Amino acid sequence: MASGVGEQAHGSVASQFYSNEEETAFDMTTSEKVVELLNQAALISTEEKLIVLKQVQELIINKDPSLLDNFLDEIIAFQTDKSIEVRKFVIGFIEEACKRDNELLLRLIANLNMLMRDESVNVVKKAILTLTQLYKVALQVSLSVSDMQEACWDMMTQIKEDVLALLDSDNDGVRTHAIKFTESLIITLSPRTPDSDTPKKQEGDISLDKIPKDHTYIRYDTLCEEGKSALEQLLKFMVHPAISSINLTTALGSLATLARQRPMFMSEVVQAYETLHANLPPTLAKSQVSSVRKNLKLHLVSVLKHPSSVDFQGQISTLLLDLGMSQSEITRCTPATVQPRKRLHHDNALFVLADAPLAEDDEDKEEPAPVVTPKPSSSVGTQSAIDLTAEFLLPLLTPDNVANLVLISMVYLPEVMPASFQATYTPVESAGTDAQIKHLARLMATQMTGAGLGPGLELCKARDEEVKEEDGGAGESSSKDPLIIRKLSAVSLGQAISVVGAPAAYKTPITEEAPQIKKLPEPILPTSQPKAPGASGRKKVFKLADVVQPFSEAQIEKLSNMAIKRILLSEKVIAQSGMSHVRVKLLARLVTQFEGGKKNDLLQFILEDMRGRSELAFSLLYHEYNEYLSQQPSGSLDSYEHCLYTLLSGLQEKPEQRDGLFTKLVLEAPVITDSALEVIQRYCEDESRVYLGMSTLKELILKRPSRQYQYLNVLLNLSSHEKEKVRSTALSFIKRMYEKEHLKDCIEKFALTYMQFLVHPNPPSLLFGAGEDTEVASPWTEETVRQCLYLYLSLLPLNHRLVHELAAVYTEAIADIKRSVLRVIEQPIRGMGMSSPDLLLLVENCPKGAETLVTRCLHILTDKVPPSPELVERVRDLYHKRVPDVRFLIPVINGLEKNEVIQALPKLIKLNPIVVKEVFNRLLGTQHSEGSSSMSPLTPGELLIALHNIDSSKCDMKSIIKATNLCFGEKNVYTSEVLAVVMQQLMEQTPLPILLMRTVIQSLTMYPRLAGFVMNILARLILKQVWKYPKVWEGFVKCCQRTKPQSYNVLLQLPPPQLPNILS
Amino acid sequence: MVPHRLVVVRERGFDVRSFGTGTHVKLPGPAPDKPNIYDFKTTYEQMYNDLVRKDKELYTQNGILHMLDRNKRIKTRPERFQSCKEQFDLVITCEERVYDQVLEDLNSREQESLQPVHVINVDIQDNHEEATLGAFLICELCQCIQHTDDMENEMDELLQEFEEKSQRPFLHTVCFY
Repeated sequence: MASGVGEQAHGSVASQFYSNEEETAFDMTTSEKVVELLNQAALISTEEKLIVLKQVQELIINKDPSLLDNFLDEIIAFQTDKSIEVRKFVIGFIEEACKRDNELLLRLIANLNMLMRDESVNVVKKAILTLTQLYKVALQVSLSVSDMQEACWDMMTQIKEDVLALLDSDNDGVRTHAIKFTESLIITLSPRTPDSDTPKKQEGDISLDKIPKDHTYIRYDTLCEEGKSALEQLLKFMVHPAISSINLTTALGSLATLARQRPMFMSEVVQAYETLHANLPPTLAKSQVSSVRKNLKLHLVSVLKHPSSVDFQGQISTLLLDLGMSQSEITRCTPATVQPRKRLHHDNALFVLADAPLAEDDEDKEEPAPVVTPKPSSSVGTQSAIDLTAEFLLPLLTPDNVANLVLISMVYLPEVMPASFQATYTPVESAGTDAQIKHLARLMATQMTGAGLGPGLELCKARDEEVKEEDGGAGESSSKDPLIIRKLSAVSLGQAISVVGAPAAYKTPITEEAPQIKKLPEPILPTSQPKAPGASGRKKVFKLADVVQPFSEAQIEKLSNMAIKRILLSEKVIAQSGMSHVRVKLLARLVTQFEGGKKNDLLQFILEDMRGRSELAFSLLYHEYNEYLSQQPSGSLDSYEHCLYTLLSGLQEKPEQRDGLFTKLVLEAPVITDSALEVIQRYCEDESRVYLGMSTLKELILKRPSRQYQYLNVLLNLSSHEKEKVRSTALSFIKRMYEKEHLKDCIEKFALTYMQFLVHPNPPSLLFGAGEDTEVASPWTEETVRQCLYLYLSLLPLNHRLVHELAAVYTEAIADIKRSVLRVIEQPIRGMGMSSPDLLLLVENCPKGAETLVTRCLHILTDKVPPSPELVERVRDLYHKRVPDVRFLIPVINGLEKNEVIQALPKLIKLNPIVVKEVFNRLLGTQHSEGSSSMSPLTPGELLIALHNIDSSKCDMKSIIKATNLCFGEKNVYTSEVLAVVMQQLMEQTPLPILLMRTVIQSLTMYPRLAGFVMNILARLILKQVWKYPKVWEGFVKCCQRTKPQSYNVLLQLPPPQLPNILS
Repeated sequence: MVPHRLVVVRERGFDVRSFGTGTHVKLPGPAPDKPNIYDFKTTYEQMYNDLVRKDKELYTQNGILHMLDRNKRIKTRPERFQSCKEQFDLVITCEERVYDQVLEDLNSREQESLQPVHVINVDIQDNHEEATLGAFLICELCQCIQHTDDMENEMDELLQEFEEKSQRPFLHTVCFY
């Protein structure tokens, strides 16, 4: 195997393919092989491609036709190949495929139609050849009824017309092919008769006689008329004075074929030969004349050999003699006929030559014509016209007249003898004889009829009319003319449709037909009745407007939609060819120019795969914008806006993407419209995309200065959003933007405006979202207050000056709001720190009504950190100079001097017990575990002593007692040692503090082991004449009572006067 | 002699086939009225051997053996045009009689594909000098035809040109397969 491959490598590419095929045949199915070959074909050079494609054709048409359907499209795709040969191959393939499976024509006809318009004449010619074959196939297929097939047939009919029109092509070869097509067409569209000379291979071919007369859309009569019309076209074509020799040769051959296969046309053919022979085109060169004459002879002989030529043997023989054939040869070619005589009678005027059997025909002249059997009616007219004119001329050809004619004609003779004349000229042997005069008359008659002159022609016309009138009533043959005319118009109507392949409801004419035939056959006649034979002039000029009708709006819409859809769906194919940018541009341009549906279709299409089709999206967007610009100044952005809006919202509905397409779209869009901004806002409000939305918005703000305030506003509005995530993200974005100098003002203003809402009695509707824009009478809530403050509070740490605004608002706000404000400011104030100059200033100024605010601030600041000297200074100032509210001092109490604290104590302990507790906590350092206690200006002992020393005129005893109780509550601070020191010091004071003994007793209760120490105190008190202080004495006695028996020792030291006091 | 001329054409790169059209293959004999006649089944090899056997000197002198020797290297035996079912684009004949035969044959065939075939006749006298001239003429004509973009459209003009140049009448027609 391996060596086999090696050998093959040196062979030609083609042989390689073959060998590959052989090698792989064992393990590959035909289908796989085809796929492989097709893949190869896409990549290789033209020559190799053809080889490969032919292999494919062999495989799928002959070897395994079941594959034909599968690979049809792949092969047909080559119809756009650059190579002419490949395109021709495709045509050949279509032909083979359709012949193999007639139904395929339904699908392939349109391709054929396209290829027939190919720019290369060689392709066109190949297409015509194929059409020649497939016309029959189409007719065959159409015989089984279905809509699809009708469309196919309509198109084929149209194509047929197109090919016929190519008889006028500029290209010689194309004309040649068109002639052959016409020939085949005429044969198909005429009935085969028993005397038809049909080639064996064409025996199965369809022809008019096989067309049923009751078919829905294939009309026997129409086809028959089309066939005749084609014949007329061919005949007209032949008499064109500038016809090329090859075309003429071809046409001559075609006529011979027609005469043999359709003897019914024998008379027209012979007539045409005669005319041609007498009027060889003057443009032919000498050698061309010889060629044509040679052909003419050949074809005449072949016609003569046909049995049906008997009626025309005379004419043909005359021509052949003129062409230089000997009489014996002619006779040899003439078929033996049963009754040649009788048939000849009909054309009695023709036989002017001195042919023995024909010379007698004068005597038969009176015999009636009906003897002639299968005479095609249409030929009667032409033939008779020449006959009649010849008869008319005969008596006029006197020697005088002829001489005059010759003299007059001399003037018109050309300088040089035309080649055709030179070739055909033979000296007149029997000048002046009757036979020669008759021959001359006939020649002239032929010329005159050809030119549309002569009495014979007029007579014929008149007779034709009569005949038709008669026929109008009844008879099979009669129905043809009127009906055909009607059908022609119906067909041309159908053709118009077939161009676009929309088989619409054009069946109506059929139903109307029957009645019309009888009613109105004649008025329609003149319009499309084919011109009388012999009349000069060419086929009616083809005008597009005659055969097509404008589409309805709906049709246009539908078709253009379909076209665009096709472009849309061809995405992959085009991408593979690397031309997707063209497609994108095309789509965008097309769609931009249309309203409505297409645009939505396209947008929908883009959104199906936004990532893959983003290029299309951008292109569309730009085109829309361009459209808008081009319509300035009156242009509307609606269309652009719709486009942008749909794309953006479409993106939002999709699952989250991380490719930044949304941002890209927003940033690259030429203009962000209001609705687009709404979408962006929706993005920002969507918790899963808030970051994406806002960073996009941020980019917009920074990069689109012209409308940055509008964008900023959106972001600012989001700062009070009800969703926490949205809000906090917005705030963090704003904070970053706040650093930009030019945006600062705007942000601040917004924040302050919101804060200003707090002075209103009710929250503004703005806070409840856009939907509820009516004034809402609901009260302020914690939530609404916060909404107004979020932004402000997040800015506060960045710009401390703003704190004064808060104070201003605070003073005016109602109590509820104040409470809320106090609750929310903790974070920002702490963030500002006690060193903030503005905060210090606030403390210093403390606007009236803002005392609670300032206090709160102080508390927050000192909550965890000891107060700074500056702060203490400010507070002290405030306290002393402006607002003597002792509560200010509490936060900074640890920053005060000892005596200040002692001074303030009386006021402090009169406050709310909770506050007092806090004060003590601060002073005792029991508030927090941190070492703030070390900062306390008073030691616990000093505090307790200070309490004892408070002047009772400044403070009621009850408050003092409560305060001392607070101290005793702090067992950890007031240990027995501390208390001992306190008692010691108090005892040494003079006068003794009122609460001394209370403290002693309390200490003793807490720490019973202090009893010894207490005894000592008691003893000392005796020395200080304790009985002189009634309150203390009272306590002394109580204490002694509690401590007996230890106290007895002390009691013994009392002086006698006081002793009974105790004992009693 | 017809194949002789067409061999020249082949060497210059055309896809060319040569055919006879008569009922037999005739080669010059010892006298004009005594030609050597073979049927189309005879190979060139056989003809060659036959002539060598008959009169080697004569047939070497008049070049027949040389021609046969060359022919047998191209194909085994002469072909008859009428028996060939392949389709051609262009047929060139060198004698009007042959032209007529070709036309007659082509026209008598049943038309099928309708593929056109152009038939051109250039009359060339059957002598050595004429044959050489004619061979070059045909070769040039073929080259010109090959260089046309659209043979069918330009053929007419081309032939007229050649006619004028060579002072020979060309017969030209088209037939269909």
